[in-house]
Amino acid sequence: MNKISVTAASRNLVSCHLCMKLLNCSAQHCPRCGCTLHLRKVNSLQRTLALLITASLLYIPANLLPIMETNQFGQSVENTILGGVVLLIESGSIPIALVIFFASVVIPLGKLLLMFYLCWSIYYGPPEAIRQRTTLYRLTTFIGKWSMIDVFVVGILVAMLQVSNLLEIRPGVAAIAFAGVVVTSMLAVESFDPRVMWDRRDRNND
Amino acid sequence: MATETNSDYADCLACPSCDLIFDISDLHDGEVARCSRCDHFLTVYRDNELRHVIAFASSALMFLVLSCSFPFMSLEMAGLENVMTLPRVVLKLWQTERQSLALLVAAFIIIIPALMLVLILSLSAALFMGRHYRWLALAGRLIYTLENWSMVEVFFVGVLVSLVKISHMATVVMGISFWAYAVFSVFFVLSSSGLDRVQCWRRIEDLSPS
Repeated sequence: MNKISVTAASRNLVSCHLCMKLLNCSAQHCPRCGCTLHLRKVNSLQRTLALLITASLLYIPANLLPIMETNQFGQSVENTILGGVVLLIESGSIPIALVIFFASVVIPLGKLLLMFYLCWSIYYGPPEAIRQRTTLYRLTTFIGKWSMIDVFVVGILVAMLQVSNLLEIRPGVAAIAFAGVVVTSMLAVESFDPRVMWDRRDRNND
Repeated sequence: MATETNSDYADCLACPSCDLIFDISDLHDGEVARCSRCDHFLTVYRDNELRHVIAFASSALMFLVLSCSFPFMSLEMAGLENVMTLPRVVLKLWQTERQSLALLVAAFIIIIPALMLVLILSLSAALFMGRHYRWLALAGRLIYTLENWSMVEVFFVGVLVSLVKISHMATVVMGISFWAYAVFSVFFVLSSSGLDRVQCWRRIEDLSPS
Protein backbone atom coordinates (compact mmCIF):
# COMPACT_ATOMS: atom_id res chain seq x y z
CA MET A 1 0.00 0.00 0.00
CA ASN A 2 1.41 3.34 -1.01
CA LYS A 3 0.60 6.50 0.80
CA ILE A 4 -0.12 9.65 -1.12
CA SER A 5 0.03 12.42 1.47
CA VAL A 6 -2.84 14.52 0.23
CA THR A 7 -6.51 14.55 1.04
CA ALA A 8 -9.08 13.79 -1.62
CA ALA A 9 -10.75 17.17 -1.16
CA SER A 10 -7.50 19.03 -1.90
CA ARG A 11 -7.24 17.16 -5.23
CA ASN A 12 -10.83 18.03 -6.12
CA LEU A 13 -11.87 14.43 -5.61
CA VAL A 14 -14.94 13.13 -3.87
CA SER A 15 -15.12 9.70 -2.26
CA CYS A 16 -18.38 7.76 -2.66
CA HIS A 17 -19.75 7.13 0.83
CA LEU A 18 -20.98 3.66 -0.05
CA CYS A 19 -18.43 2.04 -2.38
CA MET A 20 -15.48 4.38 -1.66
CA LYS A 21 -14.75 5.08 -5.33
CA LEU A 22 -12.77 8.28 -5.93
CA LEU A 23 -14.35 10.60 -8.46
CA ASN A 24 -13.98 14.10 -9.76
CA CYS A 25 -15.87 16.72 -7.78
CA SER A 26 -18.04 17.57 -10.76
CA ALA A 27 -19.72 14.14 -10.75
CA GLN A 28 -23.22 13.97 -9.28
CA HIS A 29 -23.74 10.22 -9.04
CA CYS A 30 -21.32 7.39 -8.52
CA PRO A 31 -21.10 5.40 -11.80
CA ARG A 32 -20.20 2.25 -9.87
CA CYS A 33 -22.98 2.00 -7.26
CA GLY A 34 -25.39 4.78 -8.26
CA CYS A 35 -25.29 6.72 -4.97
CA THR A 36 -25.54 10.49 -4.90
CA LEU A 37 -22.12 11.98 -4.21
CA HIS A 38 -21.34 14.52 -1.50
CA LEU A 39 -17.90 15.87 -0.63
CA ARG A 40 -18.86 15.64 3.06
CA LYS A 41 -22.01 14.26 4.65
CA VAL A 42 -24.78 16.83 4.14
CA ASN A 43 -25.36 19.14 7.14
CA SER A 44 -23.64 16.56 9.31
CA LEU A 45 -23.36 18.70 12.44
CA GLN A 46 -26.99 19.92 12.38
CA ARG A 47 -28.39 16.46 11.69
CA THR A 48 -26.22 14.81 14.32
CA LEU A 49 -27.17 17.39 16.95
CA ALA A 50 -30.88 17.17 16.12
CA LEU A 51 -30.84 13.37 16.42
CA LEU A 52 -28.75 13.50 19.59
CA ILE A 53 -31.22 15.87 21.24
CA THR A 54 -34.09 13.57 20.21
CA ALA A 55 -32.27 10.60 21.70
CA SER A 56 -31.55 12.48 24.94
CA LEU A 57 -35.20 13.48 25.30
CA LEU A 58 -36.35 9.90 24.67
CA TYR A 59 -33.89 8.70 27.29
CA ILE A 60 -35.94 10.40 30.03
CA PRO A 61 -39.19 8.40 29.58
CA ALA A 62 -37.07 5.32 28.86
CA ASN A 63 -35.75 5.46 32.41
CA LEU A 64 -38.72 6.88 34.30
CA LEU A 65 -41.53 4.80 32.80
CA PRO A 66 -41.89 1.03 33.29
CA ILE A 67 -40.11 -1.17 30.75
CA MET A 68 -42.20 -4.21 31.74
CA GLU A 69 -45.67 -4.51 33.24
CA THR A 70 -46.57 -7.72 35.06
CA ASN A 71 -50.10 -8.56 36.07
CA GLN A 72 -50.51 -11.59 38.33
CA PHE A 73 -53.72 -12.47 40.19
CA GLY A 74 -54.98 -8.94 39.66
CA GLN A 75 -51.83 -7.50 41.20
CA SER A 76 -49.81 -5.39 38.82
CA VAL A 77 -46.08 -4.79 39.15
CA GLU A 78 -44.16 -2.32 37.01
CA ASN A 79 -40.42 -2.54 36.46
CA THR A 80 -38.15 0.26 35.30
CA ILE A 81 -34.71 -0.36 33.83
CA LEU A 82 -32.86 0.59 37.00
CA GLY A 83 -35.43 -1.27 39.13
CA GLY A 84 -34.65 -4.39 37.13
CA VAL A 85 -30.93 -3.96 37.79
CA VAL A 86 -31.57 -3.57 41.53
CA LEU A 87 -33.77 -6.70 41.52
CA LEU A 88 -31.00 -8.66 39.80
CA ILE A 89 -28.43 -7.52 42.39
CA GLU A 90 -30.77 -8.51 45.22
CA SER A 91 -31.30 -11.97 43.74
CA GLY A 92 -27.55 -12.43 43.53
CA SER A 93 -26.99 -12.34 39.75
CA ILE A 94 -24.23 -9.75 39.85
CA PRO A 95 -22.74 -10.57 36.39
CA ILE A 96 -26.14 -10.30 34.67
CA ALA A 97 -26.87 -7.09 36.58
CA LEU A 98 -23.58 -5.72 35.25
CA VAL A 99 -24.43 -6.72 31.66
CA ILE A 100 -27.83 -5.00 31.86
CA PHE A 101 -26.38 -1.97 33.63
CA PHE A 102 -23.68 -1.58 30.98
CA ALA A 103 -26.03 -2.17 28.05
CA SER A 104 -28.88 0.08 29.18
CA VAL A 105 -27.17 2.80 31.24
CA VAL A 106 -23.43 3.08 30.60
CA ILE A 107 -23.39 2.49 26.82
CA PRO A 108 -26.33 4.75 25.78
CA LEU A 109 -25.40 7.54 28.20
CA GLY A 110 -21.71 7.29 27.37
CA LYS A 111 -22.48 7.29 23.68
CA LEU A 112 -24.70 10.38 23.89
CA LEU A 113 -22.12 12.29 25.96
CA LEU A 114 -19.31 11.18 23.63
CA MET A 115 -21.21 12.32 20.53
CA PHE A 116 -22.04 15.69 22.13
CA TYR A 117 -18.36 16.08 22.99
CA LEU A 118 -17.32 15.20 19.42
CA CYS A 119 -19.73 17.77 17.97
CA TRP A 120 -18.39 20.40 20.38
CA SER A 121 -14.79 19.41 19.65
CA ILE A 122 -15.09 20.19 15.93
CA TYR A 123 -14.77 23.86 16.81
CA TYR A 124 -13.30 23.96 20.30
CA GLY A 125 -11.47 20.65 20.78
CA PRO A 126 -7.70 20.32 21.22
CA PRO A 127 -6.17 19.85 17.75
CA GLU A 128 -3.41 17.56 19.00
CA ALA A 129 -5.92 14.90 20.19
CA ILE A 130 -7.65 14.59 16.81
CA ARG A 131 -6.46 11.02 16.24
CA GLN A 132 -7.88 9.94 19.61
CA ARG A 133 -11.15 11.68 18.83
CA THR A 134 -11.41 9.80 15.53
CA THR A 135 -10.83 6.55 17.44
CA LEU A 136 -13.55 7.55 19.92
CA TYR A 137 -15.94 8.13 17.04
CA ARG A 138 -15.23 4.68 15.62
CA LEU A 139 -15.85 3.21 19.07
CA THR A 140 -19.35 4.71 19.12
CA THR A 141 -20.15 3.05 15.80
CA PHE A 142 -19.29 -0.37 17.28
CA ILE A 143 -20.95 -0.17 20.69
CA GLY A 144 -24.20 1.49 19.60
CA LYS A 145 -26.37 -1.52 18.90
CA TRP A 146 -25.40 -3.37 22.09
CA SER A 147 -27.78 -1.24 24.12
CA MET A 148 -30.68 -3.09 22.45
CA ILE A 149 -30.05 -6.04 24.81
CA ASP A 150 -32.62 -4.92 27.37
CA VAL A 151 -35.36 -4.51 24.76
CA PHE A 152 -34.66 -8.02 23.47
CA VAL A 153 -34.69 -9.40 27.02
CA VAL A 154 -38.12 -7.86 27.61
CA GLY A 155 -39.36 -9.35 24.34
CA ILE A 156 -38.14 -12.82 25.23
CA LEU A 157 -39.53 -12.63 28.77
CA VAL A 158 -42.92 -11.57 27.42
CA ALA A 159 -42.98 -14.48 24.99
CA MET A 160 -41.68 -17.03 27.49
CA LEU A 161 -43.63 -16.22 30.63
CA GLN A 162 -47.07 -15.95 29.10
CA VAL A 163 -47.91 -19.49 30.14
CA SER A 164 -51.42 -18.98 31.38
CA ASN A 165 -54.03 -16.28 31.69
CA LEU A 166 -53.14 -15.80 35.34
CA LEU A 167 -49.88 -14.14 34.50
CA GLU A 168 -49.98 -11.29 32.03
CA ILE A 169 -46.74 -9.64 30.98
CA ARG A 170 -46.44 -6.82 28.49
CA PRO A 171 -43.65 -4.49 27.44
CA GLY A 172 -44.04 -1.02 28.92
CA VAL A 173 -43.86 2.31 27.14
CA ALA A 174 -40.21 2.61 28.16
CA ALA A 175 -39.34 -0.34 25.95
CA ILE A 176 -40.48 1.62 22.88
CA ALA A 177 -38.80 4.81 24.13
CA PHE A 178 -35.59 2.89 24.72
CA ALA A 179 -35.66 1.30 21.26
CA GLY A 180 -36.13 4.87 20.00
CA VAL A 181 -33.03 6.00 21.90
CA VAL A 182 -30.97 3.24 20.29
CA VAL A 183 -32.26 3.88 16.76
CA THR A 184 -31.96 7.70 16.86
CA SER A 185 -28.50 7.60 18.41
CA MET A 186 -27.36 5.10 15.79
CA LEU A 187 -28.67 7.47 13.11
CA ALA A 188 -26.84 10.34 14.84
CA VAL A 189 -23.56 8.43 14.69
CA GLU A 190 -24.18 7.66 11.01
CA SER A 191 -24.73 11.32 10.12
CA PHE A 192 -21.60 12.57 11.90
CA ASP A 193 -18.64 13.15 9.59
CA PRO A 194 -15.20 12.84 11.27
CA ARG A 195 -13.54 14.31 8.17
CA VAL A 196 -14.88 17.72 9.21
CA MET A 197 -12.54 17.63 12.20
CA TRP A 198 -9.56 16.85 9.98
CA ASP A 199 -10.61 19.53 7.48
CA ARG A 200 -10.40 22.20 10.16
CA ARG A 201 -6.98 21.04 11.27
CA ASP A 202 -5.68 20.90 7.69
CA ARG A 203 -6.96 24.40 7.06
CA ASN A 204 -5.27 25.73 10.19
CA ASN A 205 -1.97 24.09 9.23
CA ASP A 206 -1.90 25.68 5.78
CA MET B 1 -5.01 20.31 -10.68
CA ALA B 2 -7.89 20.63 -13.11
CA THR B 3 -6.11 18.47 -15.69
CA GLU B 4 -6.13 15.37 -13.49
CA THR B 5 -8.62 12.72 -14.53
CA ASN B 6 -10.36 10.01 -12.57
CA SER B 7 -8.18 7.30 -14.04
CA ASP B 8 -5.11 8.63 -12.19
CA TYR B 9 -6.84 7.59 -9.00
CA ALA B 10 -8.54 4.41 -10.23
CA ASP B 11 -6.59 2.25 -7.75
CA CYS B 12 -6.80 4.76 -4.93
CA LEU B 13 -9.26 5.36 -2.16
CA ALA B 14 -9.74 8.06 0.45
CA CYS B 15 -9.89 7.21 4.15
CA PRO B 16 -13.55 7.62 5.22
CA SER B 17 -12.43 9.09 8.57
CA CYS B 18 -9.81 11.64 7.53
CA ASP B 19 -9.92 11.84 3.69
CA LEU B 20 -6.25 10.94 3.08
CA ILE B 21 -5.64 9.20 -0.28
CA PHE B 22 -4.04 5.75 -0.47
CA ASP B 23 -3.01 3.58 -3.38
CA ILE B 24 -4.22 0.03 -2.71
CA SER B 25 -3.34 -1.63 -6.03
CA ASP B 26 -0.53 -3.90 -4.79
CA LEU B 27 -2.04 -5.70 -1.81
CA HIS B 28 -1.06 -9.35 -1.41
CA ASP B 29 -3.17 -12.20 -0.04
CA GLY B 30 -4.17 -11.49 3.57
CA GLU B 31 -2.68 -7.99 3.62
CA VAL B 32 -4.66 -5.37 5.51
CA ALA B 33 -4.64 -1.68 4.59
CA ARG B 34 -5.04 0.82 7.41
CA CYS B 35 -4.98 4.60 7.31
CA SER B 36 -1.56 5.82 8.46
CA ARG B 37 -2.95 9.03 9.87
CA CYS B 38 -6.02 7.91 11.85
CA ASP B 39 -5.65 4.08 11.90
CA HIS B 40 -9.00 3.52 10.15
CA PHE B 41 -9.36 0.03 8.63
CA LEU B 42 -9.50 0.50 4.85
CA THR B 43 -9.55 -2.88 3.14
CA VAL B 44 -8.19 -6.41 3.21
CA TYR B 45 -7.37 -8.46 0.15
CA ARG B 46 -7.89 -12.24 0.22
CA ASP B 47 -7.51 -14.61 -2.72
CA ASN B 48 -10.20 -16.99 -1.48
CA GLU B 49 -12.60 -14.36 -0.18
CA LEU B 50 -15.59 -15.31 -2.34
CA ARG B 51 -15.26 -19.04 -1.70
CA HIS B 52 -15.30 -18.46 2.06
CA VAL B 53 -18.18 -15.99 1.94
CA ILE B 54 -20.32 -18.36 -0.17
CA ALA B 55 -19.65 -21.19 2.30
CA PHE B 56 -20.37 -19.05 5.38
CA ALA B 57 -23.48 -17.38 3.94
CA SER B 58 -25.09 -20.62 2.76
CA SER B 59 -24.45 -22.31 6.13
CA ALA B 60 -25.80 -19.26 7.97
CA LEU B 61 -28.94 -19.32 5.82
CA MET B 62 -29.52 -23.00 6.57
CA PHE B 63 -29.10 -22.46 10.30
CA LEU B 64 -31.46 -19.46 10.21
CA VAL B 65 -34.18 -21.61 8.62
CA LEU B 66 -33.53 -24.29 11.25
CA SER B 67 -33.72 -21.83 14.11
CA CYS B 68 -37.01 -20.41 12.89
CA SER B 69 -38.74 -23.76 12.57
CA PHE B 70 -37.94 -25.62 15.80
CA PRO B 71 -38.52 -24.85 19.49
CA PHE B 72 -36.11 -22.25 20.81
CA MET B 73 -36.64 -22.81 24.50
CA SER B 74 -39.31 -24.52 26.51
CA LEU B 75 -40.36 -23.58 29.98
CA GLU B 76 -42.06 -25.48 32.76
CA MET B 77 -43.76 -23.57 35.51
CA ALA B 78 -46.37 -24.85 37.98
CA GLY B 79 -47.23 -27.81 35.78
CA LEU B 80 -47.69 -25.70 32.68
CA GLU B 81 -45.45 -25.91 29.66
CA ASN B 82 -44.66 -23.20 27.15
CA VAL B 83 -42.70 -23.88 23.99
CA MET B 84 -41.20 -20.79 22.40
CA THR B 85 -40.10 -20.50 18.80
CA LEU B 86 -38.41 -17.52 17.21
CA PRO B 87 -41.43 -16.35 15.14
CA ARG B 88 -43.60 -16.71 18.25
CA VAL B 89 -41.50 -14.14 20.12
CA VAL B 90 -42.51 -11.62 17.48
CA LEU B 91 -46.09 -12.88 17.42
CA LYS B 92 -46.52 -12.57 21.19
CA LEU B 93 -45.08 -9.07 21.16
CA TRP B 94 -47.53 -8.17 18.42
CA GLN B 95 -50.42 -9.43 20.53
CA THR B 96 -49.47 -7.26 23.50
CA GLU B 97 -50.46 -4.12 21.57
CA ARG B 98 -46.87 -3.02 21.12
CA GLN B 99 -46.81 -3.61 17.39
CA SER B 100 -44.01 -1.14 16.70
CA LEU B 101 -41.75 -3.05 19.08
CA ALA B 102 -42.67 -6.36 17.45
CA LEU B 103 -41.81 -4.97 14.01
CA LEU B 104 -38.51 -3.54 15.22
CA VAL B 105 -37.46 -6.80 16.86
CA ALA B 106 -38.52 -8.83 13.81
CA ALA B 107 -36.53 -6.50 11.54
CA PHE B 108 -33.36 -6.53 13.63
CA ILE B 109 -33.13 -10.25 14.33
CA ILE B 110 -34.83 -12.00 11.38
CA ILE B 111 -35.78 -9.84 8.40
CA ILE B 112 -32.63 -7.75 7.94
CA PRO B 113 -30.21 -10.66 8.58
CA ALA B 114 -32.15 -12.95 6.22
CA LEU B 115 -32.29 -10.31 3.49
CA MET B 116 -28.57 -9.57 3.89
CA LEU B 117 -27.67 -13.26 3.69
CA VAL B 118 -29.69 -13.82 0.51
CA LEU B 119 -28.10 -10.75 -1.07
CA ILE B 120 -24.56 -11.65 0.07
CA LEU B 121 -24.98 -15.20 -1.22
CA SER B 122 -26.32 -14.21 -4.64
CA LEU B 123 -23.82 -11.37 -5.06
CA SER B 124 -20.77 -13.44 -4.15
CA ALA B 125 -22.00 -16.37 -6.26
CA ALA B 126 -22.41 -14.09 -9.28
CA LEU B 127 -18.96 -12.57 -8.70
CA PHE B 128 -17.43 -16.01 -8.23
CA MET B 129 -18.82 -17.26 -11.54
CA GLY B 130 -17.81 -14.01 -13.20
CA ARG B 131 -21.25 -13.20 -14.55
CA HIS B 132 -22.60 -9.70 -14.74
CA TYR B 133 -26.21 -8.97 -13.85
CA ARG B 134 -27.94 -5.62 -13.64
CA TRP B 135 -28.93 -6.15 -10.00
CA LEU B 136 -25.35 -6.52 -8.75
CA ALA B 137 -24.94 -2.83 -7.89
CA LEU B 138 -28.34 -2.70 -6.20
CA ALA B 139 -27.51 -5.78 -4.12
CA GLY B 140 -24.20 -4.23 -3.08
CA ARG B 141 -25.87 -0.99 -2.09
CA LEU B 142 -28.46 -2.79 0.03
CA ILE B 143 -25.85 -4.98 1.74
CA TYR B 144 -23.67 -2.08 2.81
CA THR B 145 -26.63 0.10 3.82
CA LEU B 146 -28.17 -2.59 6.03
CA GLU B 147 -24.82 -3.70 7.45
CA ASN B 148 -25.10 -1.72 10.70
CA TRP B 149 -28.72 -2.65 11.32
CA SER B 150 -28.61 -6.36 11.98
CA MET B 151 -28.48 -7.25 15.67
CA VAL B 152 -28.03 -11.00 15.56
CA GLU B 153 -25.19 -11.14 18.08
CA VAL B 154 -26.89 -8.63 20.39
CA PHE B 155 -30.06 -10.74 20.42
CA PHE B 156 -28.06 -13.81 21.32
CA VAL B 157 -26.58 -12.08 24.38
CA GLY B 158 -30.14 -11.00 25.23
CA VAL B 159 -31.23 -14.65 25.09
CA LEU B 160 -28.47 -15.63 27.52
CA VAL B 161 -29.43 -12.84 29.92
CA SER B 162 -33.11 -13.80 29.90
CA LEU B 163 -32.18 -17.46 30.40
CA VAL B 164 -30.50 -16.55 33.68
CA LYS B 165 -33.43 -14.35 34.66
CA ILE B 166 -36.06 -17.04 33.99
CA SER B 167 -34.07 -19.91 35.50
CA HIS B 168 -34.77 -18.38 38.92
CA MET B 169 -38.50 -18.83 38.38
CA ALA B 170 -38.91 -21.94 36.26
CA THR B 171 -37.19 -24.84 34.57
CA VAL B 172 -35.89 -23.91 31.15
CA VAL B 173 -34.87 -26.40 28.49
CA MET B 174 -32.95 -25.21 25.46
CA GLY B 175 -34.30 -26.50 22.16
CA ILE B 176 -32.68 -27.27 18.80
CA SER B 177 -33.25 -23.72 17.60
CA PHE B 178 -31.23 -22.27 20.45
CA TRP B 179 -28.12 -24.07 19.27
CA ALA B 180 -28.97 -23.43 15.63
CA TYR B 181 -29.24 -19.71 16.35
CA ALA B 182 -25.89 -19.76 18.16
CA VAL B 183 -24.20 -21.33 15.12
CA PHE B 184 -26.16 -19.01 12.80
CA SER B 185 -24.90 -15.89 14.58
CA VAL B 186 -21.27 -17.02 14.24
CA PHE B 187 -21.65 -17.77 10.50
CA PHE B 188 -23.61 -14.58 9.95
CA VAL B 189 -20.85 -12.41 11.44
CA LEU B 190 -18.22 -14.33 9.45
CA SER B 191 -20.06 -13.89 6.15
CA SER B 192 -21.05 -10.23 6.57
CA SER B 193 -17.58 -9.21 7.72
CA GLY B 194 -15.92 -11.50 5.18
CA LEU B 195 -17.15 -9.60 2.14
CA ASP B 196 -14.76 -6.65 2.08
CA ARG B 197 -16.45 -3.47 0.87
CA VAL B 198 -13.65 -2.14 -1.35
CA GLN B 199 -12.70 -5.46 -2.92
CA CYS B 200 -16.35 -6.37 -3.51
CA TRP B 201 -16.99 -3.14 -5.42
CA ARG B 202 -13.79 -3.50 -7.43
CA ARG B 203 -14.97 -6.95 -8.49
CA ILE B 204 -18.39 -5.59 -9.46
CA GLU B 205 -16.68 -2.88 -11.50
CA ASP B 206 -14.41 -5.40 -13.27
CA LEU B 207 -17.49 -7.31 -14.42
CA SER B 208 -19.35 -4.24 -15.68
CA PRO B 209 -19.56 -4.17 -19.47
CA SER B 210 -18.49 -0.57 -20.03
